[in-house]
Amino acid sequence: MKSLLSALALVLATGVAHADELRVLTHSSFDLPKPLLAEFERQAGVKLVVVKAGDAGEMLNKLILTRAHPIADVVFGIDNSLIAKALDAGVLDAYTPKAGARPSRVGLPGGVSSVDYGYVTLNYDKAWFAKNHLPLPASLDDLTRPAYRNLLVVENPATSSPGLAFLLSTVSALGEDKAFAFWARLRANGVKVSKGWDEAYYTDFSRNGGSRPIVLSYATSPAAEVFYSKVKLTESPTANLPLAGAVYRQVEGVALVKGGGERVAAGKFIDFMRSEAVQKALQTTMWMYPAVDGTPIDPAFRFGVAPSAHQTPDEATIHRKAAAWIARWTQVVLR
Amino acid sequence: MKGARLGRRWLYAPPLLFLLLVALAPAARLLLESGARFSVLADAYLRWRLLWSLAQAAATCALGTLVGVPIAWVLARTAFPGRGLVLRVLMLPFVMPTLVAGIGVLAVFGPHGLFGIDLQDTPWLLLYGNLFYNLPLVIRGAHDGFAAVPASRLAAARTLGASRFGAFVRVEWPAMLPSLASSLCLVFLFCFSGFGLALLLGGMRYATVEVEIYSLVAYELNLADASALALTALCLCGVCVLAYAWLERRLAHPVVLDPLPPAPARGWRARGALTLALAALFFFGGLPLTAVALRAVLAGASAWRVLLDAETLAALGNTLRFTVMTLALATALGVAHALAGRGRLWMRAAAFLPYVISPVCVAFGLLLLYPDLSASLGLLLAAYTLLAYPFVAKGIGAALDQMPPALGSVARTLGATPAHVLWRVTLPLLRPALRRAMAFAAASAAGEFAVTLFLSRPEWTTLTTLIYQRLGRPGAGNLDQALVLASLLMGFALLAFLLIEWPSRAVAASGD
Amino acid sequence: MLEIIDIYKRFGERVAACGLSLSLAQGEVVALLGPSGCGKSTLLKLIAGLERPDAGVLRFDGADLSGVTPDARGFALMFQDFALFPHLDVLGNVMFGLRERRVPRAEARARANDMLDALGLDGYQARRVWTLSGGEAQRVALARALVTRPRLLLLDEPFSSLDAHLRQGLQQDFRRLLGERGVPALLVTHDRAEAFAMADRVALLCDGRIQQCATPGGLLAAPANAWVARFIGYENLLVDAVVPERAFRFGPDQPLARVEDCVPQAEGMRVRVSTPEGRFVLSLSAREAAACAGQLRAGGEIGVGIDRGALLRFGGE
Repeated sequence: MKSLLSALALVLATGVAHADELRVLTHSSFDLPKPLLAEFERQAGVKLVVVKAGDAGEMLNKLILTRAHPIADVVFGIDNSLIAKALDAGVLDAYTPKAGARPSRVGLPGGVSSVDYGYVTLNYDKAWFAKNHLPLPASLDDLTRPAYRNLLVVENPATSSPGLAFLLSTVSALGEDKAFAFWARLRANGVKVSKGWDEAYYTDFSRNGGSRPIVLSYATSPAAEVFYSKVKLTESPTANLPLAGAVYRQVEGVALVKGGGERVAAGKFIDFMRSEAVQKALQTTMWMYPAVDGTPIDPAFRFGVAPSAHQTPDEATIHRKAAAWIARWTQVVLR
Repeated sequence: MKGARLGRRWLYAPPLLFLLLVALAPAARLLLESGARFSVLADAYLRWRLLWSLAQAAATCALGTLVGVPIAWVLARTAFPGRGLVLRVLMLPFVMPTLVAGIGVLAVFGPHGLFGIDLQDTPWLLLYGNLFYNLPLVIRGAHDGFAAVPASRLAAARTLGASRFGAFVRVEWPAMLPSLASSLCLVFLFCFSGFGLALLLGGMRYATVEVEIYSLVAYELNLADASALALTALCLCGVCVLAYAWLERRLAHPVVLDPLPPAPARGWRARGALTLALAALFFFGGLPLTAVALRAVLAGASAWRVLLDAETLAALGNTLRFTVMTLALATALGVAHALAGRGRLWMRAAAFLPYVISPVCVAFGLLLLYPDLSASLGLLLAAYTLLAYPFVAKGIGAALDQMPPALGSVARTLGATPAHVLWRVTLPLLRPALRRAMAFAAASAAGEFAVTLFLSRPEWTTLTTLIYQRLGRPGAGNLDQALVLASLLMGFALLAFLLIEWPSRAVAASGD
Repeated sequence: MLEIIDIYKRFGERVAACGLSLSLAQGEVVALLGPSGCGKSTLLKLIAGLERPDAGVLRFDGADLSGVTPDARGFALMFQDFALFPHLDVLGNVMFGLRERRVPRAEARARANDMLDALGLDGYQARRVWTLSGGEAQRVALARALVTRPRLLLLDEPFSSLDAHLRQGLQQDFRRLLGERGVPALLVTHDRAEAFAMADRVALLCDGRIQQCATPGGLLAAPANAWVARFIGYENLLVDAVVPERAFRFGPDQPLARVEDCVPQAEGMRVRVSTPEGRFVLSLSAREAAACAGQLRAGGEIGVGIDRGALLRFGGE
């Protein structure tokens, strides 16, 4: 009996992290070259434990639910659609970077350091459109025309941040009621909804064997197609379709978790994410634009043109209205 | 005498306290959080979810009866080589973790299915998965009902002029009905409150209430609506459990003095029926598991190398760790509960409490009630134990019922104190039942999914959540890895099943 | 040795004992005879200490038993379904009580083997209990009880689950063994023949009360009341007495009685007659039947009379 109790105690104790580990909470798209991470570990003298917690929204919810015993010390991936919720829930701590830190092209409120930004927009399969001799849709309305029936696949805003981004941009451009009318017509026109970006892009997009030639993805996805292509390409097989109301700018940041440990190392990690090496590397691993001013844009990005305009609501509005909009969207599109 | 009464009190306290803290209090907290609003039903979307959950459970019951009763009749009335084995192996799907079942079903009728038929995004996928799990229950219930029909009664009906079919309809069917009804209650309950299967197979249109609760919490952090939904689900489950408990009480379990012995299949019709029954059994119960094993074997070395991954080994370690700890706690609590509940109906009914509250509601309620303990090992284990210990309590309770009370009396008069009677007579005789119950509890803990999703920390990934993660990532490589891991989990469940069904000498000889 | 004084016990509406008193002397076998469900088994449980009486006193050897737990009383209990422990083999079963009394293992084994030998079960030591026949199982149960040298043996319908032909042999064996060891025993049964065969005294139990307690001969000679008389087998009763077979007189000089029916037997005839005194069942020998030959049918008449001097009056003389 005694041995059982002591074994139990030992096992219970091993649930806690070891002292020289830095726990980084991210979404599942986090990706940096291993040598860079190893270099950081050496310099900061800590072991990096990267915890991938699904979609960014899921990740924030987990953080909020476990705030009494935080599951990480620093979190990467909170973007502008979630920042107000995170600050409201009080799960983040402000971090002031050292003096002389480089300014950002885009920023986030509340003492959260921005790391990268990207555009969520529609991509289309050039080959499919060429084969079917269909002109490209020129506006959101066109997507609801019979000519474009069953051609679009989007992600569910409840479970996917690009999905939410698209919803927000349509509402921002059309106004709430017109936007949901649009979505109702879109549903009638056969839009496919998938759970996440992976599924939409790798299964449903016609480029990857699916049936839908228009997919909700990122502005840098065409560039990624060229980068990862096995054969050398001079032009991307897909391109952006930056319709008005279909472009959302997403700014991601890294922040300290309130109640987390390893403060010094966590601060170092934040600086590390904004360092020149990382800002250069993340462009071709996470396919986002660097937030730090003065970082050269990777030549691979020439295959995906950055949109000139975007329709992104401000953080406070998003925090106030997003839940209601998602609920309404679910009713209109999924029910 | 006083010592015996004091000892009883020690037995009562831990299980009741545990149920209070881990089952009742969180349910009450859910009530609080939701403000007891059933107005959540005013929301058309949520109402539809609820109706669909009820509908798919009812449909599974109906389909299960349609398919299961004929199979049960054939099994009960036909003697064929390997009959005993079939009756045992029948229950295998029931022990399988939900994730394995889900992957198996996807492997057969999913996007890369065995026959090329893709049922994804249709309700049939979920219904097939439900049948995989619950057909054994239906067949067992019906079979026990049929086996209890006395031969004399059938003979009387035949001599009074009833045809074979007429005798079935007027004698066998009514006799079998109570047993079947009690099984169907359980089937309805499991289908309605099932999480893992619905998550994997329901897609977005056909997911059940439990999946909705999870989404509301994990994705939208809408705790109020989630609680209201959980409360509604709780009430419906409660009704189910009451019906089940009432039926179980009414079911007299008499010693069958005159059962109809199964006859060998003669004639093409009987043989055809037997073949059809066995084929149907394989189709619903064996195909998914075979598909998993087959796909895993064909997966290729790169997929099998995932077994050596650090991540996999960590997950394996976690699964084993949690299972062992849960087993210890569940056994202690379950035995205490069964001993305390001897002859006390309300105590026996209390063992049903964890069935009423689904795993998702348990996890969610615990999360709300003990926010400071969220993501702590103690809470996770408490939830695991809550879900595992009813198996032990009911199994041991049933075995205690079957023990002749005379044994205890004799032992007392031969000089054994009550404690000695427990130690030297009761517990040794409970050993086969204990083994069976512990194997069930271990299978339940190893395959646990919903609670782990809610309450676990990322560093406590178990085998089931690892499989789920792999499934979420696209690409054939990930799917293959998921299949390999699923076959590993299936191996564990198989082991547990062997332990459950391994006949012990005394049991085998006394014709259990 | 055993004194049961004024025991009361009821379960809800059922009265198991109502002012019941009985005593057992050293080396005596007393049978408790009564219809099923009249509380006989409950009485055994009260004596063994497994139930507490609502009122009354139980004494053994002068000492009050009320504070003594069942494991300390030293009374062995034997059941109708033998109640052998399935998880122990035969030797383990027999040794159980000895091990509980802290007898060293070697000695316990020796005593157990001796007892098995005495009951003709040598070689059965390693057998599993479910492989034993009814008679063997009952012997093992007896061995298990006797090896602990109990002060009192309580038997609850020990033979009712055995075949008739086994019963007699076992009854004789039990009687002999109990007598050899001088163990007093209280045997509970509903079978009159069993009680009469095994017991020194028979106590008749009805409605929680002892109606009469006497030797078998004494019972037959002087039943206390009509109920007792019927229970021990007398068929012909008057209001205040039993009419034994020898009290009937036949012959043309006797008053006429109408024959209701007759059933031929191996050696004679069983005739139901109706007389002014009442209806009786007579067992006519072959000779007597031959004498009334013509009338032995329904509606016939034969002369039947009663010798008042040979009646057994209730309450004894």
